[in-house]
Amino acid sequence: MLQASQVHFCIRQRPIVDEVSLELNPGEILAVLGPNGAGKSTFFKILSGEIKCKHGAVGYNGHDIHKLKARDLAAVRAVMPQHTQVNFPFTVQEVVELGLISTKAKQPAKLIQEVLEATNTSHLKDQVFNHLSGGEKQRVQLARVLVQIWETKPFPRYLLLDEPTSSLDIAQQHAVLKILQTLKSRNIGILVILHELNLAAQYADKIALLKNGMIAKSGTVEEVLEEEILEYVFDHPIHLIQNPVTGGMLISAAAQAHTSIPTFKQA
Amino acid sequence: MITALSHTKIQSQNLTLLGFGFVLVLVLLASLSLGAFSIPFPQTLAILFDQIGISTGTFEVQQANVLLQIRVPRVLMAMLVGGGLGIAGAALQGMFRNPLVEPGLIGVSSGAALFAVIFMVLVPVASSLSWIKSIGLPLFAFIGGLINVLAVYKLSKSQGRTDAATLILAGVAINALAGALIGLVLFFADDSALRSFTFWSLGDLGGATWAKIPVTMILIAVPSVLLLFNSRQLNALALGEQEAFHMGVNVQQVKLRLLICSALIVGVGVSMVGMIGFVGLVVPHLIRILFGADHRLVLPGSFLLGAILLNFADLIARLIVIPAEMPIGVITALIGAPFFIWLIFNLNKSRN
Repeated sequence: MLQASQVHFCIRQRPIVDEVSLELNPGEILAVLGPNGAGKSTFFKILSGEIKCKHGAVGYNGHDIHKLKARDLAAVRAVMPQHTQVNFPFTVQEVVELGLISTKAKQPAKLIQEVLEATNTSHLKDQVFNHLSGGEKQRVQLARVLVQIWETKPFPRYLLLDEPTSSLDIAQQHAVLKILQTLKSRNIGILVILHELNLAAQYADKIALLKNGMIAKSGTVEEVLEEEILEYVFDHPIHLIQNPVTGGMLISAAAQAHTSIPTFKQA
Repeated sequence: MITALSHTKIQSQNLTLLGFGFVLVLVLLASLSLGAFSIPFPQTLAILFDQIGISTGTFEVQQANVLLQIRVPRVLMAMLVGGGLGIAGAALQGMFRNPLVEPGLIGVSSGAALFAVIFMVLVPVASSLSWIKSIGLPLFAFIGGLINVLAVYKLSKSQGRTDAATLILAGVAINALAGALIGLVLFFADDSALRSFTFWSLGDLGGATWAKIPVTMILIAVPSVLLLFNSRQLNALALGEQEAFHMGVNVQQVKLRLLICSALIVGVGVSMVGMIGFVGLVVPHLIRILFGADHRLVLPGSFLLGAILLNFADLIARLIVIPAEMPIGVITALIGAPFFIWLIFNLNKSRN
């Protein structure tokens, strides 16, 4: 289990992450949602070990994160940050291979081939990473992150993703979340920051809503997705509609009711 | 299939390095043979083979003396310093994640020169104890280089990333400061110290003697080999420090190792032959353009190509104004500066 208990982080006396507690079990997808500036990314960095939280604790499978070395941490969790810039002309294959840098994989070539196929990037493997389009880069980075935890291991592992679909078209967005779903059966717990509420509703098992550094609500998708709480968190009118085809939930954001910008007619 | 592919990749890397090694041997031989006092090629080989007990031809004693006492240490020095500048440049570029980094530009060389001058001027006892001088000078230069590279690194880093503009500005500022301090120290220098300093400011391989080779050999070869062990970590750093940490690299430790090894290599090089610019900039670039960015090739390739380039430059420096010698810094700058301009031009183009 990945456990965060009362994680607190301040910048200049202002709490960015305010006493947040969260649990992520292997085999489930937890979507973290919230408006810009809610503290999602800071919380994410505390979980990944990049930032040390001043109060509270983060534990991976019962081990305190600060007592794990970088190498040990890399064996139990992989991280996909929002943007990754590569300054030198590395090929796609070389970038993906880097995911295996601290693991002693038995069949590295096979793992690489599998993640390249899973992310639909096999055809790019000899190209220079920097020449790819934004969406291709994001899929290659996903492959690089996946290969780190692709090999089957006897202990639970975790995957943290910060907006992994931000540069992808609709088909690719769903492809990525489908890959994440297949990871559940590999005893991997997935925490993903998303902006697209409908993707969360469709693929997540649990949702945590973050606002002003605090958890506004967390629980199963059905528990969390209510108009009232969503409107409070996002400061925007939101309607829940049933999808006539699948029967699932559709989240529709209406135009702001009382807009402060005068319309053309009023002006 | 991928196994086969990565297998051929390693093979082609080895083949490339072997090719560089071959070219290096050719350049070394040419460099031994040519010069103000020309030693024909067969005699050069004969003298060299004679040293390991194989007699292949006749030669004059004078030829043997020039070759063994003057040329060989000089060529070895050029090989070590050139190779060292190449690999240190490659490692620093990788660590700063910036292709514009060069030991001279970011102040490692000037810091090393400053401390070397301080040592020469303010530690006069050193000249009476030769062993202190042979070890103390390079170590002092190393400390100076390390201080400057740490300063530039801290200055150029904001929010976990190094900004190219700030980096260059920090390098300019640190270089200016080091230059001013060198001037200040020289104000108190006597004539002999001043004369020694002229060697550094211009860069000169003419002072290479057998006495300097063992120290140089150890203090450049050992950190160079240590750098080679960090090539995979450098690859990970190319994605970013945070990403490298995510993948299990102990980033702080790796960076410290890279900084110390690079500063040691450059410091020793500067203390031995002076400030030679642009080798550390041009060489890693050429390797990347030709063979890709994998540091497992870039690091050893930069050492070999650096050694080739500096020997080649030294050869030119010795040949064009016979019987005088052009300072080698002039030659490397003549090759390097236009390349640097081309580089800036291309970086701007690729950004637009």
